[in-house]
Amino acid sequence: MDPKTLRLFYEPRDRLRLTIGTERSYPTVKPVWAAPLSRPGRYLVLLDGKGEEITMIANPKEALPPESWAAVQEELRRRYLTATVTAVLHAKVEFGATYWSVETDRGRRDFVTQNLQENALWLSDHHLLLLDVDGNRFEIPDLRALDSTSQRYIAAIL
Amino acid sequence: MSGTQVVQPSDLKEGEGLGRDAEEPLIRLEADIGPEGRFGTRILEVTASRVRVWEPDGVVSFQVPLADLKSARNEPLVGGGRLEVTTKSGEIVPVLAYSMSLAAKFSEAARGIEQLARGEALLINLKQERMRCAKCDRLLPEKDGICPACVSRGATMLRIARFLRPYQNQAIMLSLLSVLTTVLNLAPPYIQGTLVDQVLTAHRNIGLLFGLMAAWLLVLASSVGIQILTGRLIAFLAANIAADLRSGVYRAIEFLQLAYFDKKQVGAITSRVTQDTDRVWGFLVDGVPYFVTNALLLFGVIGFLFYVNWFLAFCILAPIPVVCAISVFFWKPVSQMYHRGGQKWARFHMHLNESLSGIRVIKAFAQEDLEYGKFEHRNRELRDAGVRADAKWYTIFGAMTFFTSLGVLINWTVGGYLVYAHKMTLGDFWRVNAYLGLVYGPLQWFAMINNWFSRAMAGAERIFEVMDADPERYGEEAGYPITGAVSFEDVRFGYDKSNPVIKGMTFTAQPGEMIGLVGKSGAGKSTTINLLCRFYEPDAGTIKLDGKDYREIPLKEMRRQIGLVLQEPFLFNGTIADNIAYGKPGATFEEIVEAAKAANAHHFILAKPDGYDTMVGERGAKLSGGERQRISIARAILHNPRILILDEATSSVDVETEKQIQEAVGRLVEGRTTFAIAHRLSTLRNATRLIVLEKGEVKEMGTHAELMERQGVFYNLVQTQSAINEIIGVGT
Ligand SMILES: Nc1ncnc2c1ncn2[C@@H]1O[C@H](COP(=O)(O)OP(=O)(O)O)[C@@H](O)[C@H]1O
Ligand SMILES: [Mg+2]
Repeated sequence: MDPKTLRLFYEPRDRLRLTIGTERSYPTVKPVWAAPLSRPGRYLVLLDGKGEEITMIANPKEALPPESWAAVQEELRRRYLTATVTAVLHAKVEFGATYWSVETDRGRRDFVTQNLQENALWLSDHHLLLLDVDGNRFEIPDLRALDSTSQRYIAAIL
Repeated sequence: MSGTQVVQPSDLKEGEGLGRDAEEPLIRLEADIGPEGRFGTRILEVTASRVRVWEPDGVVSFQVPLADLKSARNEPLVGGGRLEVTTKSGEIVPVLAYSMSLAAKFSEAARGIEQLARGEALLINLKQERMRCAKCDRLLPEKDGICPACVSRGATMLRIARFLRPYQNQAIMLSLLSVLTTVLNLAPPYIQGTLVDQVLTAHRNIGLLFGLMAAWLLVLASSVGIQILTGRLIAFLAANIAADLRSGVYRAIEFLQLAYFDKKQVGAITSRVTQDTDRVWGFLVDGVPYFVTNALLLFGVIGFLFYVNWFLAFCILAPIPVVCAISVFFWKPVSQMYHRGGQKWARFHMHLNESLSGIRVIKAFAQEDLEYGKFEHRNRELRDAGVRADAKWYTIFGAMTFFTSLGVLINWTVGGYLVYAHKMTLGDFWRVNAYLGLVYGPLQWFAMINNWFSRAMAGAERIFEVMDADPERYGEEAGYPITGAVSFEDVRFGYDKSNPVIKGMTFTAQPGEMIGLVGKSGAGKSTTINLLCRFYEPDAGTIKLDGKDYREIPLKEMRRQIGLVLQEPFLFNGTIADNIAYGKPGATFEEIVEAAKAANAHHFILAKPDGYDTMVGERGAKLSGGERQRISIARAILHNPRILILDEATSSVDVETEKQIQEAVGRLVEGRTTFAIAHRLSTLRNATRLIVLEKGEVKEMGTHAELMERQGVFYNLVQTQSAINEIIGVGT
């Protein structure tokens, strides 16, 4: 399937639709990343209303028509509530729990993590995912990109 | 402790800014994600007539009349969820998003909206959960849980101390000996000082020399004796208190409700029995005496120093704050480094364990190099962490040594001058010098005590949390004959209160009947069984045994009358005979053999070189699936229950084995009320009646023939299955 023939748009206002060329149309599509952590921005899968795969696009950013990509991005933004940490303002281990205060792309947030061996996942040497006690996700794509205070907090705890 | 409650409008306070509207909010919930996906607050408000969303600035950003709504649901998102409503025209409209922290509340809200839309009474459970500690405003690790920073140290300490009560004589003895040890430690330098003053500098009283030496010998001998005694006391107390703590925790865990185990991982629970108890007794038996002895010593020495010469004492003690400060400031980073090293070790262990367990797969895929690479990576990590931690440790240790030695230096300078100026005797100088060593040493560990204490308190908290958790109510044992009549009356249940799995189930089983439970995977068959075994209790409705609410029957007695055969039978590491006898402790060998015969297991057991003495391995790993299953059936036969439960007992074995198991089951079900779940519907042909479940509701009930005739849900299931069987060529 040629991604260039895919047209994704909202209609009605909050429902993402897909038409393929002129012959096929899906009233509801759900975009999901196949490997959001290890291959961010690549391998986008479009699912239909029943959760069946319609197609997988290896490089959605280049392959999709620009308006479609914009619509998909909007839907992805709504579906992926993972926060990307831009700075660690404070972090402290006390009595087995770690209390964090972070600045993220979605704003400031305080959270608690427990049992860091299981809830701090190193996806590579510099890529970290923190899961708080409720299962909320906080991602640090590149530790080295953080300011030195943030790095010091993380180094002290992990 | 009812899970549901009617929300009274008066319970809910009206927010600011909505005063003008006369409609009273029935549901008001704060969401934590704003319109653009940023963290922020929005308020969901449901009144008798509409659903609305308020922005923090008091603007209504979304609104829909309840009369237009058909249903409401929660769409799961990554890291949160979204409340969506479906209108009567079939349009799905997103309302607002929330993070995982609020998911349970919003799924209640969705239920509430549906109830209101259908004109039913509002029956939801929106209890206020505390997210932050009321005292210190810290986020709580578990909602409504304890705040680890604010637990009352005093109360916990007292509770820990209660474990000493059975050994109070030994504990008192230990305290006395500690004081005695302190005094005896102070004696030799004192004797030396006297010796210097009265004999050495005076050059007379040589007789005193021998007297003093005799005294010293006595002190030495008695302090060695006391040391031995103290050591033995500590060993005795440590072993006993550790054992008591472990048994206490284990016993408490055994009686915990199953729901507790759903939430926690086995590893986390095990660590409470091992690590947390270790921390507590370690502190109690090693930490407390250590602390007491050294504190006494410190005060004794300081008192003596001031008695001898206040100026010298003052000079000598001057560096102590510095030593304490170093200890406090540097202890933490160093202990963190060692802690991290410990974690790396744990990961190293885990990885090593895993790769050795998977050695067949590694060899089969010829991936030795890859695994070696991973191993090397971890090994290097470990090496570097070790080097770093030790390097830091020795640096700090060096600094500490410098400051502690400073005390000695000061003593020689100031004390030396005082002796020179005849303001102090040489003997006193000698004593001071010796005591310094006794004080400065323990001071280095000043900060460690606090850390030690904190860890012990945290461990104690976790232990007490388990001990205080709601246990299953076992009740008294009393001969309680059960004939085996079971009835479910409008039973409702959900593992998570907001998500019902069994929705109003009603049926009756007569004694001796065999009931087949049928339905797709996830329909709630195993859940029905869990309720019947009372692993969980219904949220609403009643389950009756012999016409009596089963909550009134002693749990132990009730479980004694229930036999369970699961799809994945769990065997304990031990012999085959032990495992069969688990159903009836004290069974004779003849009974065991008889049960094994009835279970069609006798034959294969005899074929093993050790027969009934064959070790089954961990979880029965040395046996095949069918063999394990037949042993678990033999175990149930020996248990001789009135009610027998077979949950997919034959699903994971081949057809030939299944036939043998079926035969055994046939013998087992005679005269008992049986509930059987089977994946292959044909195996339920002998059932007296079948109950067809769909999404937690009873869809159909009747005999095999009746249901086939009706051509309903069951008929369709059978059709699909035989069609599939024909395709894959499995005989029915
Ligand atoms: N311990 C549990 N905690 C939460 N949900 C559970 C648990 N066990 C089962 N469920 C859920 O309950 C539903 C019914 O499961 P179950 O009774 O096991 O179905 P089945 O009919 O296949 O035996 C499923 O949706 C399942 O995901
Ligand atoms: Mg099941």
